Amino acid sequence: MTRSVIDPITRIEGHLRVEMEVTNGKVSDAWVSGGCFRGMEMVVENRTPEDAAQIVQRICGVCPVSHAHSSTIAAEHAYGIKISNNARIIRNILEGAQFLHSHILWFYNLAALDYVNPLNALKANAADAYDLAQAAGTSMNSDFVALQERLSNFADNGQLSIFSGNWFDAEDGTGYKLPPELDLICTAHYLEALQMQAKASQISAIIGGKMPHVMTLIPGGTAFVPTDQKLDDLKYLVDEVYNWVEATMIPDTLAIAPYYIDALNWGKGCGRYVAWGVFENESMELADRYLPMGVIDDKLNLSDVKEELITEYMGHSWYKGEETYTSPYFVTEPEYTEYDVNDRYTWVKCPAYDGKPYEAGGLSRILAAYKRNVPFIVEQVDGLLEALGAPGQIGVAQSTLGRTAVRQIETLYIAGLMKDWVAELCEAVKSGDSDYFREPSTITGSGTGFWEAPRGALYHSEEVKDGKITGYQIIIPTTWNLAPKNANGESGPMEQALIGNPVGDIEKPINALRTVHSFDPCTACAVHITEPATGKSFETVTSPWGVK
Amino acid sequence: METEATVSEFQNMLSARGVTRRSFMKLCGAVAAAAGLSQLAAPQIAQALEKSVIGATKGKLYPVIWIEGASCTGCTESFAQVETPDPASVVLELISLNYSETLSAAAGWSMEEAKEQTIEAGNYILVYEGAVLEGWGGQALRVADKPGTEHLIEAAEKANAVVALGSCAVNGGWMGAHPNSSDALGVQAFLKKAGIDTPVINIPGCPANPEWLVSVLVDVVLLEKLPALNSENKPSGIFDQTIHDNCERRGHFENGEFVYQFGSEEEAKGYCLYPMGCRGPQTKSNCGVTLWNDRRSWCVQAGSPCIGCCEANPNDPGHNWVEVNTPFYKRHRDLRIGDWMVQPGTIALGITGILAAALVVHGFGMKVSGRMDGGADFEKVRAWDKNHPDKSIGKYNLSRDEAKAACEKSSKNSQAKPVETDEEEGR
Repeated sequence: MTRSVIDPITRIEGHLRVEMEVTNGKVSDAWVSGGCFRGMEMVVENRTPEDAAQIVQRICGVCPVSHAHSSTIAAEHAYGIKISNNARIIRNILEGAQFLHSHILWFYNLAALDYVNPLNALKANAADAYDLAQAAGTSMNSDFVALQERLSNFADNGQLSIFSGNWFDAEDGTGYKLPPELDLICTAHYLEALQMQAKASQISAIIGGKMPHVMTLIPGGTAFVPTDQKLDDLKYLVDEVYNWVEATMIPDTLAIAPYYIDALNWGKGCGRYVAWGVFENESMELADRYLPMGVIDDKLNLSDVKEELITEYMGHSWYKGEETYTSPYFVTEPEYTEYDVNDRYTWVKCPAYDGKPYEAGGLSRILAAYKRNVPFIVEQVDGLLEALGAPGQIGVAQSTLGRTAVRQIETLYIAGLMKDWVAELCEAVKSGDSDYFREPSTITGSGTGFWEAPRGALYHSEEVKDGKITGYQIIIPTTWNLAPKNANGESGPMEQALIGNPVGDIEKPINALRTVHSFDPCTACAVHITEPATGKSFETVTSPWGVK
Repeated sequence: METEATVSEFQNMLSARGVTRRSFMKLCGAVAAAAGLSQLAAPQIAQALEKSVIGATKGKLYPVIWIEGASCTGCTESFAQVETPDPASVVLELISLNYSETLSAAAGWSMEEAKEQTIEAGNYILVYEGAVLEGWGGQALRVADKPGTEHLIEAAEKANAVVALGSCAVNGGWMGAHPNSSDALGVQAFLKKAGIDTPVINIPGCPANPEWLVSVLVDVVLLEKLPALNSENKPSGIFDQTIHDNCERRGHFENGEFVYQFGSEEEAKGYCLYPMGCRGPQTKSNCGVTLWNDRRSWCVQAGSPCIGCCEANPNDPGHNWVEVNTPFYKRHRDLRIGDWMVQPGTIALGITGILAAALVVHGFGMKVSGRMDGGADFEKVRAWDKNHPDKSIGKYNLSRDEAKAACEKSSKNSQAKPVETDEEEGR
């Protein structure tokens, strides 16, 4: 029995350590540790909900829109505002752009380097690469010859830049297995993806001013008013991103998958899933969202979320006490002790639904949408399962490869919806509807914002009195996934997913890295705290609407 | 067409700095002439890889270590959005990014080893993103079994320079805001305490605009010098002007044409967002020139007032953009200008408030001078004002005489001298 540690985990957002116990070439136990504490919830207390929508975006530079959105929805519940149709559409486009940006970046620029070896692409025969791309039905907009030339120059120089210290030589039977031609194709798409994720962010920037950290998502609707020119830019960019996603992402996934098909056999987490739903339909109901809400148990039965079943435990995290708190009455005080996997070992708290760990993320959303019969998702998932040689077996999606693959389905779905929303917005503007922002009727109340970040179920909740926040709580997706062991000793979802992963080389446990990346973890999000109000006060009226 | 336009802008930027496109390209190695389909000798390349160099002594790329402290990764994300040059060109042809928690292919110990080798070889730049956390002896941020503060000290000591990227790195950013529960501070203040005198370049912003970082890298890598820095060690070319100086809506400010409601008709006309709480007049940065995300837009263009995210005093974590600027959307008409725009008790904003007040008088002065005539109507009495006549500043659609009287009264009472209207008329 040996211990294998990966610290820091790279190509994620934030600081994460994974410690694994390896027995007979397989992970037998695992501890994941979130390495940073920043204290977000305390900062927004005693400030206004409008300020909070700006400040909470700084939890995560990859999914700021989702945090702003969730916070804004919570504030609108507290304020009793129903947003206008224009605001709903604009906010869907803004959120959708961020999902596209995040998923493209995650798949090609973060996760793919676990499967693709760009340096191996030097050995490829470019002409064969074109044939292979054509056979795989994936895009070949890049000049493979020029790319090889570029890589060759890079390699000749001898400095490895972002490939310094790489694991490309990991030899555990499941290391890097793609043929050079496919490595070349995927490297070309890695570089295209860098541009495409930036294009998707440009959509966010048109509506939000800049990305990351958008400016126009505010409680009451949106500060952005589309002009003809902006609509034109939106349509052009949305079409461009859709075309690329459609031509590239799923074909690439299917081209890579056969070489790593073993990864369908491991990486299942706790087998229970939460999704709060994202992208509002006209009804504004959670279950009607374009990607709907759903809680899925270990028999894959679907039910609706009940807020009072959400709890948080911190007996294994660096916070005082060992109590379990029930939503929305979480209480926490940070207190670092030491890193001890038998006691406290992370800054991440341990949330539970109905007393058990639950997984959040793209897989959860896809399962909820599949269970609720969203036509596009059902059709695509069935097609994917068939291509992976497991027709009708939705269970195999619960694996490292499955979790990695279904996100591309979601990406294509959202890219298509973006086209619809832009058309819908054009129609709304044409009809003369100019309602973008609504003022609150009260500035005292409480509200929750159930929403989704690209990496899973997101929950913001706030109490507001006279326009100031008196209590604020956040449970973000990676907190679900990176949860430490709970009060009963049951491991968190990612810990469970790591158990059983084959490890050939404990210095370079590449399979474990693949499993971690399949969750798209975001640990800067995962660590945060709540505490009762502290003594800060402002000297002036803080609501933009004054005292009502 | 558009790409060409931005590329040539980049060339202009370079030539303004005395760098020809030719020498830039040569240095980048980006124009490996597409001379035929040269066969690649795989064994030779493999050999080259084995002999890979980490330091800058042999290779032509400038080594960079990019450490994420207590960050949201937003500045790395922002860097990934840069278009001129795109991030791939930067990491393949301009710098050798030997350590980046977000972009590196490696993980775990081999990452740390690459960093140690880079430090050992010397002659590198450190980019530090996110706040420095001193909480719990630095354990508020743990990486590779060590407090984040130790990583910073190790990497900063031998660096040629440290780029503190983003407002958090400059002075702790939002983490420094009350109650600062993790004891956040900026790189410059921390290194000073630790007795390390490596030069620090502060690039604030939440996130930092990638063009700002690239311009600093171009200075360091191509021109082999640090950019000109102001008293706060921020590049003066970028941070010695205010948002207001370069604002595309400045003309409406001059005309006294303002937005009083998000998503309103005035917003659709692109009026000035000053009354919505815009911090443009006191926030120093060239956002209005650089713009964001490949020059697609920026905060004000999208309809949001500036919230002053570049506000960061490197020596004082308490003086961060959140603490200074919240509430972000406080209506500036609540501010005191004489007793014309008064809601008593709302001043207490010190010099920035008075400065802002003077600017508003300047704006309203335009109305008096007659340049407002023929423009769009001012908003009539708003709902809120109707319900609170005692707190209301009154109507906006003042007659010419009323406005003149109000302006005179306010300039008499105000501590700041308003801009003379005559001067403006002479323009």
